[in-house]
Amino acid sequence: MGALDGKVAVVTGSGRGIGRGIAMLFAKEGAKVVVNDPGVNVDGSGGDAGPAQEVVNEIKAAGGEATANTDSVAEAAGGENMVKQAVDAYGRIDVLVNVAGILRDRMIFNMAQEEWDAVIAVHLKGHYNTIKPAAVLMRQQRNGRIINFSSTSGIIGNTGQFNYGAAKSAIAGLTRVVAKDLGRYGVTCNAIAPGAATRMTQSVPDSARQLRSQAGISGAASNAQQAPASAFAGLREPEFVAPMVGYLATDDAWNINGYIFNVAGGTVSVAHHPTAMRTVFKPGLWTMPELDDAVQSILMKDINNPAPPRDDVEVSGRDIPARPLA
Amino acid sequence: MAAKPLEGRAYVVTGSGRGIGREVALLIGELGGKVVVNDPGVNLDGSGADEGPAAEVVKEITSKGGQAVANMDTVATAEGGEGMIKQCMDEFGSLDGVIHVAGILRDRMIFNMAEQEWDDVVAVHLTGFFNVVKPASIIMRQARAGRIIGFSSGSGMNGNTGQGNYGAAKAGISGGVRCAARDLGRYGVTANAICPGAATRMTQSVPDSARDLRARAGITARPSREPSIVNQLRDAKYVAPMVVYLLTDQAWNINGKVFYVSGGNVSLAHEETPYRTIAKPDMWDIDELRALVPSQLMGGLANPAPPPADLDLPARPVAKAEA
Repeated sequence: MGALDGKVAVVTGSGRGIGRGIAMLFAKEGAKVVVNDPGVNVDGSGGDAGPAQEVVNEIKAAGGEATANTDSVAEAAGGENMVKQAVDAYGRIDVLVNVAGILRDRMIFNMAQEEWDAVIAVHLKGHYNTIKPAAVLMRQQRNGRIINFSSTSGIIGNTGQFNYGAAKSAIAGLTRVVAKDLGRYGVTCNAIAPGAATRMTQSVPDSARQLRSQAGISGAASNAQQAPASAFAGLREPEFVAPMVGYLATDDAWNINGYIFNVAGGTVSVAHHPTAMRTVFKPGLWTMPELDDAVQSILMKDINNPAPPRDDVEVSGRDIPARPLA
Repeated sequence: MAAKPLEGRAYVVTGSGRGIGREVALLIGELGGKVVVNDPGVNLDGSGADEGPAAEVVKEITSKGGQAVANMDTVATAEGGEGMIKQCMDEFGSLDGVIHVAGILRDRMIFNMAEQEWDDVVAVHLTGFFNVVKPASIIMRQARAGRIIGFSSGSGMNGNTGQGNYGAAKAGISGGVRCAARDLGRYGVTANAICPGAATRMTQSVPDSARDLRARAGITARPSREPSIVNQLRDAKYVAPMVVYLLTDQAWNINGKVFYVSGGNVSLAHEETPYRTIAKPDMWDIDELRALVPSQLMGGLANPAPPPADLDLPARPVAKAEA
């Protein structure tokens, strides 16, 4: 008995990397899988039916059921097609896993409109394009699982990824809304912020990571900082992300809804909701001097700037002395 | 702190013809700053156009001795974003901050949401943020100074029914702020986000009946209408001071953060860092997760929209009907 026996899943971007690991595990656990992947390069260019078909072949060789799809999630028609393919081939859709993504890293002051648009189209619109048609069916059948892919680049922040970080943070927001739209119909929606060594992370040069770290900029996971110092840190294969996704797809996870999970290697965390952490309050309109005192001595006390100005930058206000606790 | 801490500085405030944006523009003007009051004067759903709102705010600022110019560009296009940044440079000779308040609403449950409703909301809020931040960041990086303030929302940070488009776009702005903060911080530029609470034209469009329905379905608590000192402070003007404080020299080292501001409340949002963790120095199998996740990882963490008790779900424990 597999944990996902009889379930039908669509996994976008499952020709390679994390998506592939999920498709393989789902099939091994008894799910029928639509393996979606247009086989593009990391930047979204090109196209190759090979990766999706190879994963399908692998699944079938192991005795599982799968069908390939090469539609682009960036088009509404593409999202509808892959959901339709699941229904046509297997009669239903129980699980939607949105892994597909591209990268066009650039510092914000150099980012071209096209680099913004392309990343938003695949990641963010891509999530809408598959979720919309899946939500219609899952609501009707009063059951379903939607598992999205966010990233620490968005929910924590990272240099050179304004487009990717915005899209990934937006996916976390979309996840929380869809969870509330569909929860009452027995459908759950959660997101994964994964960590793994894949074709995508390999495209970020080590020199960029080193530069960031030298400049004292904290960001999302950096390979340089994550030298395998423990048994946990060495586990960077994309397959390690799959079990938590598989668990969220099971019937047992019926009441886990609206959460973001960090998954890397053997480490699984639930992310903190971005709720109010500290509050200052006044029963009226704040003045600037009042806010200055409250913010500096209470609200922001010991809270770091993730990328402080370099020492040689003349910053108005840097010489204002720190004040004691009010 | 100087009485006019923004003296001699120039700012672009998108969507400042009405509501929160207007209050931000007015307070900047009052504290000595020069303002490009951007507002195409559209309806709440993005339709129509009216140069009245922006012009009126300009008049209000200048009548009190401040400096302001109106701009009617839309933030939804790259040209519009560049246009208002350029106007600030042309009119005032510098760009010290950009505050992106402009936004529209097209609420719809995700299973009914049309592609156009998705596209329009993402274009104004999220791509609108890119459209102003991109040209602004070039100038601010060269100036080695500047402030970027995005408007996010509790709808995206905590989730709100019927706002898949808006919630995604707003959470995306928080992510953009966190990345811009890391791209630009070393150049003396900061980027932060505000999740406002206020009674405006936008919130009035959500019918009370929708709030009541949500509350009955157990999805979100209905905000109390009981008169309390906190609930009374719903005017948009209460959001402005924290926004403007982030523009001052005092706030030079506040960067990459998200703040909730409503009435007299100002909160720093918790970063979405790991809250609880389970770990194993090997690959998990699903049965292990089955045993550990509900009790260890998710114990006590609620489903924000639980399925109704009469909905048959395969793994749900059967309620004991009779003793």
